[in-house]
Amino acid sequence: MSVALAVAVGGLFAVGTFLLLRRDLVRVVFGLAVVSQATFVYLIAMGGVAEGARELVPVLDTHGGGVPEIADPVVQALVLTAIVISFGTTALALVLSYRAYEENETIDVTEWVR
Amino acid sequence: MSELVIAPLLVVLGTAVLTLALGRRPQLQRATSVAGVLGYVAAVAVAVWTFVLAPAAPGAATYQVGDWPAPFGITLVLDGLSAFMLTIAAAVGLASLLFAVRYVTPENQRVYYHPLFHLLLVGVTGAFLTGDLFNLFVWFEVMLIVSYVFVAFYGTDHATAASFRYLVLNLFGSALMLVAVGGLYATTGTLNMADMARRLATPAAYGVDPAPVVGLSALLLAVFALKAGLVPFQFWVPAAYTAAPPPITAMFAGVTKKVGMYAVVRLYFTVFGGVPVSVDLAGSLGASPLAFLAPVLAAMGIASILVGGFGAVGQDRLESVFAYSSVGQVGFIALPIAVAAAADPTGSLRGVAIAAALVFALHHALVKGLLFLSSAAVQDATGTDSLRDLGGVAGKAPVLSGAVFVALLSLIGLPPLTGFFGKFLAFDTAVRGLAVDLGVLSALALVALLLGAVLTILYATRVWVDGFWGPEAAAVETATVDPGQVAVLVALAAAVVLVGVGFDPLYRFAETAADAAIDSEAYVDVVGLDGGGGS
Repeated sequence: MSVALAVAVGGLFAVGTFLLLRRDLVRVVFGLAVVSQATFVYLIAMGGVAEGARELVPVLDTHGGGVPEIADPVVQALVLTAIVISFGTTALALVLSYRAYEENETIDVTEWVR
Repeated sequence: MSELVIAPLLVVLGTAVLTLALGRRPQLQRATSVAGVLGYVAAVAVAVWTFVLAPAAPGAATYQVGDWPAPFGITLVLDGLSAFMLTIAAAVGLASLLFAVRYVTPENQRVYYHPLFHLLLVGVTGAFLTGDLFNLFVWFEVMLIVSYVFVAFYGTDHATAASFRYLVLNLFGSALMLVAVGGLYATTGTLNMADMARRLATPAAYGVDPAPVVGLSALLLAVFALKAGLVPFQFWVPAAYTAAPPPITAMFAGVTKKVGMYAVVRLYFTVFGGVPVSVDLAGSLGASPLAFLAPVLAAMGIASILVGGFGAVGQDRLESVFAYSSVGQVGFIALPIAVAAAADPTGSLRGVAIAAALVFALHHALVKGLLFLSSAAVQDATGTDSLRDLGGVAGKAPVLSGAVFVALLSLIGLPPLTGFFGKFLAFDTAVRGLAVDLGVLSALALVALLLGAVLTILYATRVWVDGFWGPEAAAVETATVDPGQVAVLVALAAAVVLVGVGFDPLYRFAETAADAAIDSEAYVDVVGLDGGGGS
């Protein structure tokens, strides 16, 4: 399972970086979205993905015994927050790319005058 | 009492909401905004005085948000370091807003200027106060989202392009920061900075393997350097600074840049300072991640001083000169921090060096704020801020030019202005580093500081001679200067002089802040990890 996750994170980062380096404005925004997804998968993986065992969940393992064996709630809360932030910034990035297209009259970043 | 810690945050958050609601009543909105920033200054002053500066002050205080005990909830910590940074934010924020009310056109002020300004303060204040690593990420995002909008504020081709580039860079930076935060959580099992510091200081007792911390801290350093605009992450600075409304540029240079430097000091010295892990990087041997920080930050600082200095000499517009100049000046803050990182943890040099960096940060915030606001006032009066079209402003607007003159002298480092002490302490730490055998690092730092000082004299002289001296240029002859704007500039210039003349209390404040940054045991104590549970 952790190998699958590692491959997924690596693949997403690779695709995201590739898109980020495109000249096309919209692909750059897509690249940002994909990179953010990669970090979310990574964050979830950091909480441990194998079923149950307490020692795989940092917050349970290090803060006292007698806790039921559950998935790590901390990383899920983190990812939820990060998704909301990423949603907001991606929306802003799309609007901004449209405005930048209107003002600069091209979506090819290398052709922008300044 | 501990509610005072969160008071500055609540004041600006409340003002942001109020100004948003008052969008249809421009005058009332402006009045609310000014009242809000005055309330912010008052809240910061009271909190800082009560907890840090008063004779019987405890030195630090915490507020557990939602009454969740640390390390499970979010802890806000007001210690010496946070107090010092908040003071900078309050001073620059007040000047920036008062100037903006007179400078930004009423139509533009109605377009969300005031709510955004207060949200910027919210992000900055939160970043300075939080004691939780993930929460720091959230405050960074609050600050940055507002910054994107401000860079694109005027909506021109230049502004939208600058804003888009700034956004892409910082979103990628945020992704890296999340990776570092996630990795640190998996390594240490906590996000609370005090808890993390405690666990990392005695990793064996908590079953933590400290080795990954060095690499993860390097990721964080890259993100913070991007925020601070250190070379090699400086390329967004000139475009973004010239595109944003000038009062906001004063905030960017004076405050948001400092958030990056603050985060470096807070995390490396308070949290990672005690991690027992051996590092061997380019001759820098050491027993904590600080040995990694020292050479890397020194290289970044030296490069920043050179790139910023040479860049500023070659610029034609006042705003661009000052934008490049602030790239260089951040190097002056980074170098003492690098010396502090290389210094012996038990010696006195570490504290002195961090205090030097903090004094320089305050100096830079005041002076660069003043310079950006002055260049805006000049542009408002003459319609241009190109050195080619300016000339003889000193004859036409003596008071405005006097304020600029004070700022330029302070930038160069003439006593008794703030810049003298900033530069003096930076040189002092480098020389002391030589004395205690920090060798190559200190020698290089000294050479870079000297070169940077010479370059500063060069571009400051050029700005004064080309822009303010000489016969009046055509654009200057018809200029009318707004007295309200000049009043703000004079007040800031007076602050530069007063802080310089009465430097002793400020230095003691900076020393308190530096001690708070280094003493991670005290930081752990004040956060009070009663909810910590077993091992």
